Amino acid sequence: MWTEKYRPHSLTDIVDQKEIVNRLISFVKAQNVPHCIFAGPPGTGKTTAALCLAHDLYGPRFRDYVMELNASDERGINVVRETVKTFARTKSIGEVSFKVLILDEADNMTGDAQQALRRTMERYTETARFILIANYSGKIIEPIQSRCAPFRFTYLPREHAVNWIKRITDNEGLTIKDDGLEAVLEIGGGDLRRVTNILQTAASIGKPIDEETVYSVVGRANPADVQEMLLTALSGDFVEARKKLRDMLLKYGLAGTDIIGQIHSETFRLSIPDKWKVKLADVIGEADFRLLQGSNEEIQLSALLAKLVEAGAEIKRGQ
Amino acid sequence: MFVPWTSKYKPKTLAEVVGNQEAKDKILKWVHEWDRKPPKKRALFIYGSPGIGKTVVAEVLANDLGMELVQSNASNYRTAEAVQKFAGTASHYSTLFGKKRLILFDELDGITGTADRGGLRVITDIVKTTGSPIILTANNAYDPRFSTLRDHCQLVEFKKLARTDVEALLKKICSQEGVEADADALRLVAERASGDLRSAVNDLQALAQGKKQLAYDDVSWLSTRDRKEAIFKVLSDIFYARNVWDARRAVDTADIDPDMLLEWIYENVPHQVKDPKELAATMEMLASADMYRGRIRATQNWTLMRYFIDFMTAGVAVSWNHRTSGWVPFRFPTRIMTMSHSRAQREVMTAIGLKIGKRCHMSSNQAAKDVIPYIRIIFQTNEAMKNGLARWFDFDEDMVNYLSTNK
Repeated sequence: MWTEKYRPHSLTDIVDQKEIVNRLISFVKAQNVPHCIFAGPPGTGKTTAALCLAHDLYGPRFRDYVMELNASDERGINVVRETVKTFARTKSIGEVSFKVLILDEADNMTGDAQQALRRTMERYTETARFILIANYSGKIIEPIQSRCAPFRFTYLPREHAVNWIKRITDNEGLTIKDDGLEAVLEIGGGDLRRVTNILQTAASIGKPIDEETVYSVVGRANPADVQEMLLTALSGDFVEARKKLRDMLLKYGLAGTDIIGQIHSETFRLSIPDKWKVKLADVIGEADFRLLQGSNEEIQLSALLAKLVEAGAEIKRGQ
Repeated sequence: MFVPWTSKYKPKTLAEVVGNQEAKDKILKWVHEWDRKPPKKRALFIYGSPGIGKTVVAEVLANDLGMELVQSNASNYRTAEAVQKFAGTASHYSTLFGKKRLILFDELDGITGTADRGGLRVITDIVKTTGSPIILTANNAYDPRFSTLRDHCQLVEFKKLARTDVEALLKKICSQEGVEADADALRLVAERASGDLRSAVNDLQALAQGKKQLAYDDVSWLSTRDRKEAIFKVLSDIFYARNVWDARRAVDTADIDPDMLLEWIYENVPHQVKDPKELAATMEMLASADMYRGRIRATQNWTLMRYFIDFMTAGVAVSWNHRTSGWVPFRFPTRIMTMSHSRAQREVMTAIGLKIGKRCHMSSNQAAKDVIPYIRIIFQTNEAMKNGLARWFDFDEDMVNYLSTNK
């Protein structure tokens, strides 16, 4: 996978997020790392920075000193109480006096687990340092935030993304046309993971990469179309819209919170009166909040679809 | 048109009635005694649990012997006066063309309260002197209310049907409906009915109608203890409740798991509630119910249960006007079936997601969203890349197949 093939190994290889990288390099020099939170949008190098930091601290055998956990897959309180604690309390045997625990997607941890984590962090600071990775640092509870050095990652500026693409295409011997490059940038934005995945998939087709290839790849990659579902609901066919929703959740395995994010951005692109967009944003926000509280994804989201059915009917009547 | 399979596959002759051979022989013997003169016991009291063919036996008997069936069931008033009117004359005169009559008092357990006062006494009187054979049915013949009546009747017990008998009938229905059914699936349906043939056939119809295949997964969710008829009644009581009390009470009348009930209501809302505004309001009620359910789960505080129930019953009832264009049948929660159908798919997907997550430093969830769609395209367009990636990710054959074939 090219995302892995081209992932930098050392902090010095990272071309972007200069300020952050420089601070991390100074940690390595001092052989001391505080607890950290890496926050920022996807594909901006948070995980990479954490792995590079570990690599530079411990050398190529860094795996012996580092534990990488993904909070979305192992988010329960028991993981913190058992796995994390066991790792944290055993002493490091190397030159560096502590081990590093990378907790990816930490914003998906339950509140209980975060509370448990806070104690563990405090108690075993001597032997373990935590790097929490999250899209939004706001989803991390305050007590943890206050124990961590915050690092805010931002989307890559355009010229860095261009360089990144050029580097890959040169190395893989690919031809990419100007309109193809533009398309990748347009869709991928500053999300390098997305950019790289689009590039690799477009390359798999085996032709010079142009605008058309890129858009067809992206179109095929998103069969579960949120916009179509919203339009179906607006047209009044609730049962069909609900079926589309169910397919996304069950067949394509998408998470409710991801779908709701897309619904939110699509809603503002719909051709409906602005008044309704704002009204719907309120409903979407409420559903989003309820999902975080552990409500059922399909029921909450289809209540949202029913609201769209109502909106569609009222708009048609010219209200 | 919706034809209940219980009617479609109802036996036409006594020979077609499943099981209870001994009881059937007894009945046939008794009815033939009437050929010469009325026997000492002029009524037959058939008793046994629901759905095992008590009523059907009376119907096919009349049919087999060319008799006219005159019947009264629990839906009729059965006061002394009403019973007298219904059966008093019928029991003493044959029909206009000399056709013999068979009188059926069905569901005697249903004779209760002041509205039916005196009914049983009159039935007993008629039984003593009737000139036409009478069949009575009830679930429990030994109810003290029937003690006098019982003395004048010949008792015949109908036993619950053996699972194998039920299973055999289900199999026959499936083959006539063109449904290819797994033996496991039919066994589960039969087992769950615990001797009640009618409910087994009802369940089968709900699960299999219009389908080509019926797999175990399609029926496994039945193993919850909910009874379908009970659920339909509860649904109707909730959707069409006249006030919030009735709606709430509907839940207490049946032994239904609240989570399952929510699925039923959720499935049926758009089929019952058509007006967009009302639909949105009703769905909002369900969403609120679900929210409380989430809170119960999070806090383990079960006193919140009452709000969960409030919103899904009373909330639904008051959110719409109960206007319908004709009777809309209730539907089975398809979500549960879809979930079990796609479970295998989701399991492969999660397994793929975990493999990707391990190599690409992300959660299985994120992999499903951000990586699998691209890998799928690669697997379907570029053989060399596919093989390389499959090796690198260490996908097994199932996973490769899944990624290569699914849309």
